Amino acid sequence: MTSSQLVKMRLELRRGVLVLAVLGLLKQPHYGYSLRKQLQDGGIDIDEGTLYPLVRRLAEQGLLDSEWRQAEGRERRYYQLSSSGAELLGQLTEEWQQLNGALAFLLGQVTDENAEEN
Amino acid sequence: MDLVDRYIAAVQRELPEDKRQEIGRELKANICDQLDALAEHAELTESQIADVLKQMGHPAKVARQFVPPTPIVASDDIPLFKHTLVMVLGVLFVLQVVSGATQWLGSTEGSLFGFIRHIASGFIVDACFAFTAILLSFWSISAQGKVISGGRCQHWQPQNLPKVGPDWQHISLSDVFSDLATYLFLLLLIWNNLWMSADQLAARSVIFSANAQQLLQWFSPIILLSLLNTLWQLRRRLWTAPLLLANAGVNLAYALCLVFLAFSSPLLQYQGGEVEGIFTLQQLDTWLGHALLVIALFPSYECIRDILRWRKLTAH
Repeated sequence: MTSSQLVKMRLELRRGVLVLAVLGLLKQPHYGYSLRKQLQDGGIDIDEGTLYPLVRRLAEQGLLDSEWRQAEGRERRYYQLSSSGAELLGQLTEEWQQLNGALAFLLGQVTDENAEEN
Repeated sequence: MDLVDRYIAAVQRELPEDKRQEIGRELKANICDQLDALAEHAELTESQIADVLKQMGHPAKVARQFVPPTPIVASDDIPLFKHTLVMVLGVLFVLQVVSGATQWLGSTEGSLFGFIRHIASGFIVDACFAFTAILLSFWSISAQGKVISGGRCQHWQPQNLPKVGPDWQHISLSDVFSDLATYLFLLLLIWNNLWMSADQLAARSVIFSANAQQLLQWFSPIILLSLLNTLWQLRRRLWTAPLLLANAGVNLAYALCLVFLAFSSPLLQYQGGEVEGIFTLQQLDTWLGHALLVIALFPSYECIRDILRWRKLTAH
């Protein structure tokens, strides 16, 4: 597999998970930069060009509430999970846990088979 | 800050008017936060600010990420869009051939170049208009977020799918429309005395001989049959055993008629006395005979091809 294929597949793999991570973090209010820092600190490195439009899209879908606030002499737009966003987060979390369990089982099987072959 | 303002303005220029203010304001707040974080230890130079902006991406790219461009035609409707285009352009091509043939056969000059030019120019004008009209229709539907093909993909039954067959079994639209155009052209050519005015008929210096004209007219029912056969192909667009046999029969009739015609000299005659020209009538007659024999090879090939295909299809 070439490195460009790996990059593309990693992006695809992370795209869906990213929504879950963003919704999860926005239980608390965050502005764009602080949200990115939080994700980075949590091990998810994401570029601004992906994150900021994603947050706006989620807000446009009614999953996030937003408001402009003045802080440290500058205005910032804070985002927080709306009630429908919270409901969706619950459903997605459940889905993620099921998937994660299934994948852990499947990947574990593959690892075992490889070990047996060797 | 001048660089940041210039960057924001460049992004805003790429955005729809109703979103410029909001996205520009938010993007600026985010960039400023990032620059503040970098400037915690020392003041930033212009080149460091430029690096941050470069990392953000080209203004057009950033704008596209915020407001992704919507396709003119919804991706689900692209196959239907292409199909509609081919069908409409095919019909327009047939109509152009008919119109070009009537004009060409009715003119006193009868230049082949003029005939081709009439078809090409008329078709290009019609095709441009049709393409624009179809594109605008699909665009107006896609702009409302609707998909035309949605119903077709929902209401279907696996039992209605055609049986598995070889690739050649699918009849291409281009073949259907070129056949239709050829048959209509032949009918117009053979029956020119029905639709041409007396003046137009009298103006022609060289015409088919009475014998050739009669043979061609006898052949008209076969052309009509092939026209119906082609229209049926347009409806089904799948070669079946009966359709292959019918096509082989029609092609055999074409080949025999062309060969018979080629040996039925004279094919041409002067009308209203001999005319001085580059070639003599006898030369034209010989060449036409040879051309008919060459043309007869095409239906002969199609006849053999269809019989072989029929055998393959019925063997399964």
